[in-house]
Amino acid sequence: MQRLERNWNTAIERIKTWARTNSPWVVHFNSGSCNGCDIEILAALTPRYDLERFGVELHGSPRHADVLICTGPVTRQARDRLLRIYEQMPEPKFVVAIGSCAISGGVFQGCYNIVGHIDEVIPVDVYVPGCPPRPEAIIDGVVKLLGKLRPSPKPVIEEPAG
Amino acid sequence: MIELAALLFFPGGLFVLLNGMAYEWVDRKLVARFQNRVGPRWFQPLADNVKLLVNEEVIPENVDARLFITLPVVALAGVLTAALYVPIAGFDPAFSFEGDLIVTIYMLSLLTMATGLAGANTRDRFSLIGATRTLTQLFSYEAPFLLAFLAPAVVAGSWQISEINDYAGDHLWLILTQPIGAIVALLGLMGKLEIPPFDAPEAETEIVAGALTEYSGRGLALFHLGRNVELVAGITLLAAFYLGGISNPIEYVLKTLAVLFVLATVQTAVARLRIDQTVGVWWRYGVLLVLLQWLALIGAEVIF
Ligand code: SF4
Repeated sequence: MQRLERNWNTAIERIKTWARTNSPWVVHFNSGSCNGCDIEILAALTPRYDLERFGVELHGSPRHADVLICTGPVTRQARDRLLRIYEQMPEPKFVVAIGSCAISGGVFQGCYNIVGHIDEVIPVDVYVPGCPPRPEAIIDGVVKLLGKLRPSPKPVIEEPAG
Repeated sequence: MIELAALLFFPGGLFVLLNGMAYEWVDRKLVARFQNRVGPRWFQPLADNVKLLVNEEVIPENVDARLFITLPVVALAGVLTAALYVPIAGFDPAFSFEGDLIVTIYMLSLLTMATGLAGANTRDRFSLIGATRTLTQLFSYEAPFLLAFLAPAVVAGSWQISEINDYAGDHLWLILTQPIGAIVALLGLMGKLEIPPFDAPEAETEIVAGALTEYSGRGLALFHLGRNVELVAGITLLAAFYLGGISNPIEYVLKTLAVLFVLATVQTAVARLRIDQTVGVWWRYGVLLVLLQWLALIGAEVIF
């Protein structure tokens, strides 16, 4: 009986993970970037790269989204908005930080109006470096995020190449 | 027992839901191909809906929680009921009585009404504007849409969908004898489904997601499924009335896919109308066209 229940639960978990990894809906927020990264994100969503074939859809409302794609450093003014958007998203939610600025503050580091990088305000799951990163890199970041969702038997440590 | 099976599995319930998701995929795939994209994978709508169903449902502040929770259920129930009265998959409708055409058309409107109420229920400017637009649009296309579906009923001399279906099967295709009515019915269906050019109620670039902005998880999934079922029921009705009836599964697939193809083509080819333009188009041209169709019908009756 217990085994049946366990099997049932694992089956349900599998279905949930399958659905989540195959249908990541994203919402995009710019918390103070120079717009370079945002243009690359938009490029990744255009027919040239066609993210819909992976099930990625851009949604306007944080209530509909699973993945928050953030760009840029967090300015003092955008901090509350970023937090509010993050809080509005339903569980489970994930954050992808795009660009050097989102990772470390980049060229804006030390500015009088900057709180810091994204990580200082909300938890980030995947970082995509670059100034700005190419659309391929952004897609790779989202795919890495989806890979994290799947249960893996043992942790994989990637050695840096070269 | 058989009636319960018809309600839950075939041709109602489960079958329409799966059929709806399949047709949503066909629609999205066609649009993607028209835009020179690869398009979604075949199980995409299923994955979307399952994901939404298992996600958290956030109930925002300042809403009537009971209404917030029940409205998606009402919407889905309405369209599922409508699907019971149309010849899904080419079989006779599961339930049928004299006058079921009117019931079906109003059941299809229930989804739109529920969407509008859902938007008005939440304290959010986007959903409020979306709700206003949804209901405005409902009142603009509803009358011509209804009249366009009543014309075949009048010719067939019955208000029962299965009898009109039989009549359409025995005579020349009604799209040839009543072309204007067919066009208005098709456009009305596009308005009902809120697809371009009539997608002002959920214009992503202006009002986020319209009336459903605050919905997440289960509620959103139920509205999505409702939209899919409405698509199936609507195009089945259209094909049954105007494309020479539906009497077997092969005819069903061919004719509904043909309608879906036209829907996808028009939807890719045109841009969005502003809400005032939508109302203008319907009341200035839609109504006029459908009245013209009715005049022609009456004229034909008098002459022959
Ligand atoms: S990483 Fe580069 S492109 Fe992106 S926001 Fe910062 S400066 Fe702009």
